[in-house]
Amino acid sequence: MGELIVALALVVLSFLIYTQSGDLPSMNESQLDAGSFPQFVAILLGGLSLILAIKQTIVLIKARKQNSETSIKQQLLYIVKEHQLVFITLALLFIYILAIQLIGFILSSILFIIVTAMVIGPRMKKSIVTVSSIAIILTISLYFFFQSVLQVRFPTGVFF
Amino acid sequence: MFDLLFLGFGEILNLKILLVIFIGVVVGVIAGLIPGFTVAMAIVLTLPLTFGMEPVTGIAAMIGVFVGGMSGGLISAALLGIPGTPSSVATTFDAYPMAKKGQPGKALSIGIWASFLSSIVSLFILVTIAPQVSQFALKFGPWEMFALICLALTIIASVTGDSIIKGLIAGLFGLLISTVGADPIMGFARFTFDLDVLRAGIPFLVVLIGMFAISRLMQSLEKSQLEKDRLERLNEDASEMKFTLKPFQSLKKVISKPMTLIGSSVIGSIIGAIPGAGGSIANIVAYDQAKKWSKEPKKFGTGCEEGVVASEAGNNSTVGGDLIPTVALGIPGSAVTAVLLSALMVHGITPGPLLIVDEPNIVGGIFVAFFIASLAMLFTQFAGMRVFVKITQVPTHILVPIILVLCVVGTFVLNNRTTDLYILLAMGIIGYLFTKYKYALAPAIIGVILGPIAELNLRRAFMTDPDWTLFLSRPISLTFLVLTVLSILFTIWQTINAKKKAQA
Repeated sequence: MGELIVALALVVLSFLIYTQSGDLPSMNESQLDAGSFPQFVAILLGGLSLILAIKQTIVLIKARKQNSETSIKQQLLYIVKEHQLVFITLALLFIYILAIQLIGFILSSILFIIVTAMVIGPRMKKSIVTVSSIAIILTISLYFFFQSVLQVRFPTGVFF
Repeated sequence: MFDLLFLGFGEILNLKILLVIFIGVVVGVIAGLIPGFTVAMAIVLTLPLTFGMEPVTGIAAMIGVFVGGMSGGLISAALLGIPGTPSSVATTFDAYPMAKKGQPGKALSIGIWASFLSSIVSLFILVTIAPQVSQFALKFGPWEMFALICLALTIIASVTGDSIIKGLIAGLFGLLISTVGADPIMGFARFTFDLDVLRAGIPFLVVLIGMFAISRLMQSLEKSQLEKDRLERLNEDASEMKFTLKPFQSLKKVISKPMTLIGSSVIGSIIGAIPGAGGSIANIVAYDQAKKWSKEPKKFGTGCEEGVVASEAGNNSTVGGDLIPTVALGIPGSAVTAVLLSALMVHGITPGPLLIVDEPNIVGGIFVAFFIASLAMLFTQFAGMRVFVKITQVPTHILVPIILVLCVVGTFVLNNRTTDLYILLAMGIIGYLFTKYKYALAPAIIGVILGPIAELNLRRAFMTDPDWTLFLSRPISLTFLVLTVLSILFTIWQTINAKKKAQA
């Protein structure tokens, strides 16, 4: 099922790119303009994805005939359970990226490492202490390394 | 050929660079050792640290990580029977039985010597062949370059992943990613969909960090993966294993099998030079061939020395092979060399056939850094083995958040833009979906790095002469295109054959 969705998404993407490319400005001096190469790639990508989508549909129909036992609800439940941590971690990563701009690099990195480790791993006192110390040492050394060696200025946020 | 080496020695023999290579090797070995932490990940994360260095120093550091990482998988393969990286699968066939028979030290030291000597053989091949290839490539016009890139992408698509159609889709997707942002000739902003984030394009390294590091981390967080990981950890006690390494005796043993060593190294170098095929394929093919050539094929799999030599020689010699197209043509054969090339570009050096002519000191530096890194690998593996074995695996719940922070830092440092971080997240999710549905990531990555070069050459070809039949009438270009079609047809034929066999 997922494979079919990916293939269809790629078909849609190729279509979008193809139509967008037509609107790009062109200059008369050359045969190919800014939109030609993307259009060429989009046609190939769209075609191949379409073939894959058709293949997948055939596979799906065949599979449907063989076992219609497992309901969609059960499948969804399994997917959620299997990927629970993946979803949560990605969400945390998104919040972390937002937080860097709000409360600065140091604070948000330390919090991100601690929270993510707590979510994934065991929530015991001993491991909280280890993780927190790793988080603080790592973040601060990264900050000073890049600031002094590469003159990178990390976002400092509202507190500093 | 020797001029390049002399220049290289002049560049590399400098205390600071030697130290940097040494640190790189140690980092690489550790990355190869920890399951779930790949060599590609280590290289990607090393890159931002090298921005402040001279180009040669930065490249040398990354070659150190590359060489170290290729040999790091040996430790867990020999002692635990689990490949630490995909490139050491065949190593477990003989090294693990040998260790189980009570000779773990012998298995390790033979493996280390095989890795080192095969690196030297592949270095020799690299130094002799790369300049010839680039000389030949100097004759290429835009037609040939475009055809060559088509060929490289189809080969990558056919050797990696689930099926050729998915491989090609991944490669084309990579090409499309590379078209976002300013177009290479006139500078029009393309496909920004009115998002400011996309106006500057999608930086190659952000794609790489997202697809290789973040997607890999997400995979290790799947429930079944965590469960498997936990079970494996219960069975392991590598840190308690006792062994003695006998460097000199095992050197004699490896040298007494010159045919296996050289044969496997040549196979490894050739496979490494094919775009997309790398250590994981060479490791198995070299092992298989050694078994066919051997007088006593039955001994393979029971802990025989030749098996260890062949498998470890096979994977380490891919490094030299992989560098041939990278240095000579500017076409990377793997994610690792793609990072190497982008490191050159960060420093304003354009890879391509002209690299050897324009920047002989960089190319010589790459060759010599490879040699020094192999030496450093030999030394660190023998001297540090006890420490490496004691690095009981870092638990996933600590590894994941730390690497995620490193990914974010690496991305930010690249352009000092917080908007790139959103691209990073998006690429991580796309990469995760790709691996989830068995699309290979390598074609996508190579597509992103070769996309601008392909487009530039295609448009240059048409600017020089609007006649498209030139692609077919120029002999070299025609050869490449015919090979492109053949490689697709061959793979399809192979899959059909395999299916028939499976049914019969």
